[in-house]
Amino acid sequence: MENPINSLKALVPVEELAEEILRDKSEVVAIDRRRNENREGIRALLKMKEEKVWMAVGPLLVRLPKEKAKTMLNEDQNVLDVEVNKIRSELKVKVNKLRDLEFEEPVPGLHLKPLTKDEFAAVGQVLGYHA
Amino acid sequence: MAAGTQVKNVEVRDIARIERIGAHSHIRGLGLDDSLEARAVSQGMVGQQMARRAAGVVLGMIKEGKIAGRAVLLAGPPGTGKTAIAMGISKSLGKDTPFTAMAGSEIYSLEMSKTEALTQAIRKSIGIRIKEETEIIEGEVVEIQVERPATGVGAKVGKLTLKTTEMETVYDLGTKMIDALTKEKVQSGDVITIDKATGKISRIGRSFTRARDYDATGPQTRFVQCPEGELQKRKEVVHTVSIHEIDVINSRTHGFLALFSGDTGEIKPEVREQINTKIAEWREEGKAEISPGVLFIDEVHMLDIECFSFLNRALEDEMAPVVIMATNRGITNIRGTNYTSPHGIPIDLLDRMIIISTSQYRESELREILKIRCEEEDCELSDDALTVLTRIAMETSLRYAIQLITLAGLVSRRRKSNEVEIEDVKKVYSLFLDEGRSTQILSEYQDQYLYDQKPDVGGSGEPMDL
Repeated sequence: MENPINSLKALVPVEELAEEILRDKSEVVAIDRRRNENREGIRALLKMKEEKVWMAVGPLLVRLPKEKAKTMLNEDQNVLDVEVNKIRSELKVKVNKLRDLEFEEPVPGLHLKPLTKDEFAAVGQVLGYHA
Repeated sequence: MAAGTQVKNVEVRDIARIERIGAHSHIRGLGLDDSLEARAVSQGMVGQQMARRAAGVVLGMIKEGKIAGRAVLLAGPPGTGKTAIAMGISKSLGKDTPFTAMAGSEIYSLEMSKTEALTQAIRKSIGIRIKEETEIIEGEVVEIQVERPATGVGAKVGKLTLKTTEMETVYDLGTKMIDALTKEKVQSGDVITIDKATGKISRIGRSFTRARDYDATGPQTRFVQCPEGELQKRKEVVHTVSIHEIDVINSRTHGFLALFSGDTGEIKPEVREQINTKIAEWREEGKAEISPGVLFIDEVHMLDIECFSFLNRALEDEMAPVVIMATNRGITNIRGTNYTSPHGIPIDLLDRMIIISTSQYRESELREILKIRCEEEDCELSDDALTVLTRIAMETSLRYAIQLITLAGLVSRRRKSNEVEIEDVKKVYSLFLDEGRSTQILSEYQDQYLYDQKPDVGGSGEPMDL
């Protein structure tokens, strides 16, 4: 590593990937924030008596029927759920790739599929959980 | 001795905390550098460079899962660090890889057959990795509002405000959640998690920012940081459990109590069969991974021919662990037969093993080991005393010299000194016999003992004079 060009060559991909992972993490936070806001919105709509409601769509304030607002929010919610899951599974791949770049062993069992509730209840006793 | 009387005055709870110092408690690893080269003195290991290097290679292969189903034999004279190397391997493997240590004679028990004991030991050494996944909401409680109906009966409604370092949100609560929150005595400032699937609420602790809310808090109050990131998290935990533990749970109707009652008895082959099928299924579905561990059998010459042939077969199983065996025997009888064989192990099994041999320590290495043991046993030894002790170790045995450390420490403490001097070592050397001197006394005074057979073994040498 005496040659600075060579060290850069080794460091750049590591830093890039690490940056990407951090970005993804904050993306998950941002999505979750929106998801919670949407949820609050849906609850608020349920309680409202008016037929038409004001809703902020980006910078615009739009007056639209309550039902339409509700479906819009629900649709958004579904899209966000899918998005979060996608980022999370991509994150796993990226984390292992980063560890590989840093000459570390991959996280054991990261790509396992989770056991279902029933299956886990059967094994969980070993770990001290009650069935 | 002062320590002895002190202990009596302390509560029982504290006594349990006094750790016993085991013979190999100073071993922290194999003492290898990154290129698997053995450092002279490192991680409690001294000397035996060749053996340690070989063990390092084996360790690397175990970690990569390459030599599952093969066996390693550690062979060498007594007191040359075979068990220490096995301990070193186990320490370097980490928590995730199961390591089972047993002595060869452990299989002779009245409660279960030899093969059952071996099977259990083998299955204890195979772990499976499984993943638990839960969706949770984790945050610090900002506020709880509960509206009770004026009549006292009927549905309660409420609001719960949760926050993380990044966001804050309000949840509407129904009667059930309100009851659960009251039951857990959740108040604002607590950090809680809510399991999305079951709705179970658990309190993690109080937020640091609320540490000054009250002047008096109970000792059980745990302060934690306000959670970071998103509120709705996916928690994935990877567990490693040994197959034997799963066997135990499924072989008993009363479930997990069997784990603590100690006596697991024999496990029916059908139960094992079922568990193997289930695990194979999970592996197929990508839900489980096998993590083959290490089974260490000390004093392996104590096994008999039946066990050896059983092991031979068991090693061929696709889920077999790495078996490390240790023996200090030369060419001797295989137990249960009249045949002799190197290390008392049948040739066909020997053929499957890679053999690592340990050799006698040199004087300088003995000195280092004794020094490490002194630190471990909290005794300060003067340089002269260490030299004398090293000589004792050369003339008698390393184990005997190590035993003298604590004894000499006690003697020195009696004369209110913090350091062990030559005189202390001399005193314990005259008080406690080593094996050679004891044999000599026997041969001198054998006619005074009961049932003496007049054997033709003589003492191994003159007692050294100090």
